[in-house]
Amino acid sequence: MASLDDPGEVREGFLCPLCLKNLQSFYQLQSHYEEEHSGEDRDVKGQIKSLVQKAKKAKNRLLKREGDDRAESGTQGYESFSYGGVDPYMWEPQELGAVRSHLSDFKKHRAARIDHYVVEVNKLIIRLEKLTAFDRTNTESAKIRAIEKSVVPWVNDQDVPFCPDCGNKFSIRNRRHHCRLCGSIMCKKCMELISLPFANKLTSASKDSLSTHTSPSQSPNSVHGSRRGSISSVSSVSSVLDEKDDDRIRCCTHCKDTLLKREQQIDEKEHTPDIVKLYEKLRLCMEKVDQKAPEYIRMAASLNAGETTYSLEHASDLRVEVQKVYELIDALSKKILTLGLNQDPPPHPNTLRLQRMIRYSATLFVQEKLLGLMSLPTREQFEELKKKRKQEMERKKILERQVVLESQQRFEERRSDLASRAANGEVVSLRGGPAPLRKAEGWLPLSGSPGQSEDSDPLLQQIHNITSFIRQAKAAGRTDEVRTLQENLRQLQDEYDQQQTEKAIELSRRQAEEEDLQREQLQRLCEREWEREREQFRAASLHTRTRSLDFREIRPFQLEPGREPRTHLAYALDLGSSSVQSSVAAETPAPSSALEPARVWSGPPALGQEFFPQSMISQQNELASLNPFDEEDPSSPTAEGTISPPAAECSFGPSVSILKEYNPFEEEEEEAVAGNPFTNPDSPAPNPFDDEDEHPHQRPSSPPVSGNPFEEATCTNPFEMDSDSGPEGEEPIEEELLLQQIDNIKAYIFDAKQCGRLDEVEVLTENLRELKRTLAKQKGGTD
Amino acid sequence: MNVVFAVKQYVSKMIEDSGPGMKVLLMDKETTGIVSMVYTQSEILQKEVYLFERIDSQNREIMKHLKAICFLRPTKENVDYLIQELRRPKYSIYFIYFSNVISKSDVKSLAEADEQEVVAEVQEFYGDYIAVNPHLFSLNILGCCQGRNWGPAQLSRTTQGLTALLLSLKKCPMIRYQLSSEAAKRLAECVKQVITKEYELFEFRRTEVPPLLLILDRCDDAITPLLNQWTYQAMVHELLGINNNRIDLSRVPGISKDLREVVLSAENDEFYANNMYLNFAEIGSNIKNLMEDFQKKKPKEQQKLESIADMKAFVENYPQFKKMSGTVSKHVTVVGELSRLVSERNLLEVSEVEQELACQNDHSSALQNVKRLLQNPKVTEFDAARLVMLYALHYERHSSNSLPGLMMDLRNKGVSEKYRKLVSAVVEYGGKRVRGSDLFSPKDAVAITKQFLKGLKGVENVYTQHQPFLHETLDHLIKGKLKENVYPYLGPSTLRDRPQDIIVFIIGGATYEEALTVYNLNRTTPGVRIVLGGTTVHNTKSFLEEVLASGLHSRSRESSQVPSRSASRR
Repeated sequence: MASLDDPGEVREGFLCPLCLKNLQSFYQLQSHYEEEHSGEDRDVKGQIKSLVQKAKKAKNRLLKREGDDRAESGTQGYESFSYGGVDPYMWEPQELGAVRSHLSDFKKHRAARIDHYVVEVNKLIIRLEKLTAFDRTNTESAKIRAIEKSVVPWVNDQDVPFCPDCGNKFSIRNRRHHCRLCGSIMCKKCMELISLPFANKLTSASKDSLSTHTSPSQSPNSVHGSRRGSISSVSSVSSVLDEKDDDRIRCCTHCKDTLLKREQQIDEKEHTPDIVKLYEKLRLCMEKVDQKAPEYIRMAASLNAGETTYSLEHASDLRVEVQKVYELIDALSKKILTLGLNQDPPPHPNTLRLQRMIRYSATLFVQEKLLGLMSLPTREQFEELKKKRKQEMERKKILERQVVLESQQRFEERRSDLASRAANGEVVSLRGGPAPLRKAEGWLPLSGSPGQSEDSDPLLQQIHNITSFIRQAKAAGRTDEVRTLQENLRQLQDEYDQQQTEKAIELSRRQAEEEDLQREQLQRLCEREWEREREQFRAASLHTRTRSLDFREIRPFQLEPGREPRTHLAYALDLGSSSVQSSVAAETPAPSSALEPARVWSGPPALGQEFFPQSMISQQNELASLNPFDEEDPSSPTAEGTISPPAAECSFGPSVSILKEYNPFEEEEEEAVAGNPFTNPDSPAPNPFDDEDEHPHQRPSSPPVSGNPFEEATCTNPFEMDSDSGPEGEEPIEEELLLQQIDNIKAYIFDAKQCGRLDEVEVLTENLRELKRTLAKQKGGTD
Repeated sequence: MNVVFAVKQYVSKMIEDSGPGMKVLLMDKETTGIVSMVYTQSEILQKEVYLFERIDSQNREIMKHLKAICFLRPTKENVDYLIQELRRPKYSIYFIYFSNVISKSDVKSLAEADEQEVVAEVQEFYGDYIAVNPHLFSLNILGCCQGRNWGPAQLSRTTQGLTALLLSLKKCPMIRYQLSSEAAKRLAECVKQVITKEYELFEFRRTEVPPLLLILDRCDDAITPLLNQWTYQAMVHELLGINNNRIDLSRVPGISKDLREVVLSAENDEFYANNMYLNFAEIGSNIKNLMEDFQKKKPKEQQKLESIADMKAFVENYPQFKKMSGTVSKHVTVVGELSRLVSERNLLEVSEVEQELACQNDHSSALQNVKRLLQNPKVTEFDAARLVMLYALHYERHSSNSLPGLMMDLRNKGVSEKYRKLVSAVVEYGGKRVRGSDLFSPKDAVAITKQFLKGLKGVENVYTQHQPFLHETLDHLIKGKLKENVYPYLGPSTLRDRPQDIIVFIIGGATYEEALTVYNLNRTTPGVRIVLGGTTVHNTKSFLEEVLASGLHSRSRESSQVPSRSASRR
């Protein structure tokens, strides 16, 4: 979405300085300017005013949208030019702050210490090896004693009258014992024993580490493993002596501690817990998804557009592969979650927490990525798509030619028209004027849209019917029928055009009335406001007063209300022209171009003060862009375009009504009263959102049709064609939709189960079953 | 200059540096707060950080398959804990980051404890402050001064926080301070000292105009933290209290279990980000829209999603719906509670009189209004006391000052002794004799004209007419008109150009009203970036605690304060 409405987009080319409409040539710009803006006061003041307004609009747009931008793209570095300063949220991201490393210092100190420690440990192990290198059981004790004494010099008995550990005096009863590893003296109570297996484990581990050259696991930069190994190698070569005591070696607590620590290290090195193994697999899977998913999405998008760059088989293989990986991720994380649950004693709560967190993040991952996985067209569908694309390309070529022709024609036409019209001051009809022309431009696409069954205008419906008849007739090869039908169609078209022109005139008249009304209302409201402000502050609430803050902002509005609707209309027209352009310019429409005008246009009413139209639009857009079906349909921008304008339209109401508002939660009625004149006259379909709600299954690409003048603009978009897959195309798409639905629901069930919302799970499974039934039915039907 | 981003970058860097694998983040009490302000759990989970542990927690299990990232303040206790940790390592490898400068000797003792060579990194990452908004930071120190001077512990923490901020933004500033405050001068000197000592760290690329650090004292404007607020963020803090973006709603009547504590963070709550600076009325209508949107999207469960279309709508909106339902119920609850408190405490009327006391100079009308409100049973003792405090501050030297009468009224109203004592304490804290500048009467011609015009035009909004004194100070600073005899430079060099990057720090705490002022200044002044900080962010309650903690209780202790005050005033 960020790309759709990037406000930083630079528009270039022949832009009209007043309405920013993009015109394709200098001549067109000139004619546009003379035609559109001749009625406006052309003095410099007026232009400056409108420029100021434009800046305000842009500012407004930026300000209100800063929220979503941040949410979308995190660190986008553009600056808002609001009031000249910069919103702190938009300060350009700075580099990482200062840091200072103590690592080299740390290592220096550690190395000194470690040398000492490692030497000590190694010394003990070498001695231990010497002590165990001979066959102790078959050696007489005197000899063992001699060997033991040779390994380490024993401390003199006379030097130690008391046990250094417990402080007891040595006597005949309390005899002295020597540590065989360091030679120190302690009493029997303080003496520790090392069993032979334990000694063997320690000494053999040291040898292993030498032979396999594996450094200990605890630290990547450790050197002590090899260091210790090299010393122990000396020990293994030395001492081939034999002696005997018993099968245990006496030592002091200090030496034993050191050895135990060492043992722990050895254990840890060799032991990889299950969770690590599983986790590594899990990460591998995630990486795979990160690799494959974008590739698949690219493929699917291209295939769904009817391109032949990738093969369908390959794509569906990839889809299956990616889905399998998802399943694997799910399974692995589940396994991690349940690790050791049945053990006794149960694992430490932290371990369980870790497992839960891993599972949670895997779930998040799957949710986030799986939903972006669009479905593929079936084989038949694909063929169809290919065909359609071909047709579309041809049509586009024709259209391009037409547009060029058209523009020249228009230029000529307007030149001659201009003088008389301008003289009459007939701005109103002028504004309505371009509509029929545009219609002619968009003739082809319009006639080719039988899919729009929701047309509220009977004429339009008729036109659609006839076009589909024509197609059928053509297919049947009945040329004479085609001819009559076409004649018929032309008449209808003319009729419709006329109607539209009339409507446009009507509309502008109403607009003028509304302006008056609006002004009046504003005035009245202001007066009331001040009244209240002064006199009955007890009765009035905060809300009315804070509103008064905004009066200044509204006043400019009030001063030049004539300008407002005009730009409004200009934008409506703009909407049309730019979508036509985009279709001409690129083979896949840049969605932003279609959406942009709508956006811009929503500015002025919002300027009044109200946040909500904006947020509503963005919500709505978000909704639309999330819709997976949009992705299937490159023409979706039209849908979005048509959604937005009416939304912005209603905002005319609130901006007035809000002034009356006492309590934000009670504003409905007032809004309804004030909002009415603005929302109704030009759109028989009362509210596009309601429309959506009533027919959510209606594919988003078909715009909510109405007698609305914007309608024409959207119809002229050749990409409409894309969605018009004809009646027979309807069912396979339904099926695909179902399939995807099933996928999605499965994901949600999974999620719901995860969160323990059993009621939701129930509803969802119910839905899933239903879906599957429908699918089966349909498959039976098509087969 | 974005402080949230600065801290976030530090944390991201730590996680990145530790490479792939399961990780645990080992923190102390303060750094937990620092990190939680910039990262959400799900965000950090995606970076393979699965556990968060406190270094002082005894109940940690040995998990050798985890990597540990330690982010700690360089305190004595933390170093001791870390030494013990390294002697018996619980994790496979340690990446150690201190949030501030650590002494060489501490590094040495850590190195000597690392017998098993488990440490792979020891660095200083200067994220040593709470980043509240991109332009607002706090140190969460309540009660920083004893009398008029720093508590030693608080001074050193503040110095650390402030220097860490400078380092994280890579700014080596010139320093100005408020002459009338001894504390401001001390802090300025301490910061300068650190900059001089660690000159290597502060060697950044020189900018054309050096950044500026302005140190102020809360004493200069005791009015702002005493006012009721009407913009969303400030109002929530005033009425409910925000603590590290968390709001305690457990006292709200009939609150549901999962809403007892909610998080309001502009970083991941779009609604909040868009509305935090709007006033209460606007929030109300925006909430309503949010609710309507929500209702539109909410699946009608009674209908059991009959058609495929229903289901599609449901499924499509599901993730958003889930997120949204959280947002909706959260904001609806918060705003609902706010509006309940407003009507229960009669805050509209109270606030209007507060604003009159703060912004206008009509003594008799103000007195009348205060007296009237004191008779109103709906006005709480807290609000009654603060009205009298505002009156006492404004009309301290007025010829017909009738504070004693008001104090009598307070007593009659049954306001507790604690609050009545606080009235004199507040005057002691921020009264005329300690203020370096005049809060109430405008000084120069421009300001006088402005006020005159304001009088002509009438007030735009009765509840938000007050502008914090900070606005004027910063306005002058930006225009290069801030008087050097009131806010002198530390050291001989002065700024010749107008400042561009400004860091303002308020000893004794900033307020969200001031944050809004700074936000607006940032947006309206081209080429200027301002970051605001304070020892904490106050609401009235915490401000009164601050006053209480400073020990300036009553007039009886006034005599002991005289020497220090005369010293500070010179």
